[in-house]
Amino acid sequence: MAGTCALVLHHMGTGDRWSPFINTRNFSHEQTVVSIAIIVAAGSMVSADAATPAPAINDAQIAHIAYTAGAIDITAAQQALQKSQNPKVRAFAEEMARDHAAVNKQALALVDKLGVTPQDNATSQSLASSAAAEQKTLATLNGTAYDKAYAANEIAFHQTVNTALKDTLIPSAQNPELKALLETGLKLFQSHEKHAEQLAQGLK
Amino acid sequence: MIRIMIMLVGLLLAGAGVAPATAADAAPAPRVHVIVVDKMEYGPIPADIHAGDTIEWVNRDLFEHTATARDGSFDVDLKPDTTVRMTAKKGTVALFCKFHPTMEATLVVK
Repeated sequence: MAGTCALVLHHMGTGDRWSPFINTRNFSHEQTVVSIAIIVAAGSMVSADAATPAPAINDAQIAHIAYTAGAIDITAAQQALQKSQNPKVRAFAEEMARDHAAVNKQALALVDKLGVTPQDNATSQSLASSAAAEQKTLATLNGTAYDKAYAANEIAFHQTVNTALKDTLIPSAQNPELKALLETGLKLFQSHEKHAEQLAQGLK
Repeated sequence: MIRIMIMLVGLLLAGAGVAPATAADAAPAPRVHVIVVDKMEYGPIPADIHAGDTIEWVNRDLFEHTATARDGSFDVDLKPDTTVRMTAKKGTVALFCKFHPTMEATLVVK
């Protein structure tokens, strides 16, 4: 699972304004999941100790994390469409790309409306680093081995994001419209996780 | 002669008045039932759908969905911001979204 690349989100100014590209850094999927948990827990403790409790993360960071999660899954889907010949895997990848593009478009419209500039943060970076490492691993696989690994990674990725949405991002979001979009996002990610499980089951 | 004609006209009018009422009792006019899909959920399914009625699927969500019968009797594709109509057939059908397996509902047509 170890990888040697980190994905960094870059502000482009037009269209999909954060475009992923590669930066070098050592990371593994397990390390990243643990580090996300530590970051979130540390943030909560700081918040609890403060005289005037502030959210561990602000809306600008939450928007960045949510957008990053969608962008990661679109990149993974694009790789699947390049590598897989399995019609079910390809249909799943098309669905991931379509759904996450739709929710990210809505997220961009919302931050524009609210005048918020999404803010890069440790959680976004951890998600991106892990995804880049996983994509590099997947790039070495072909045929059924690739299809199974892609489906397994989709389950793991959606589980990680679901936990972050449910336990941290939604409870911390201050703006009601952002919170509502995250809640729809959670339902979407939960549905994708179930779909990924069905896909993986069919590949056994 | 005039009296006979008046009676005949009266009988015809009376007959015309009775006929539609009988037809209405036998088969109520088909109705349109709207089911809204939004925020990754099917909205409430109307309880009084009858065979021959029209079901109007309205997708207000950000995402493409389907209303797909588990028994294969229908498969309606619902792109975002679209409305699709279908004619209800008698029976109880479990339906789901092919893309989003957490979306499920049951359609009962009397």
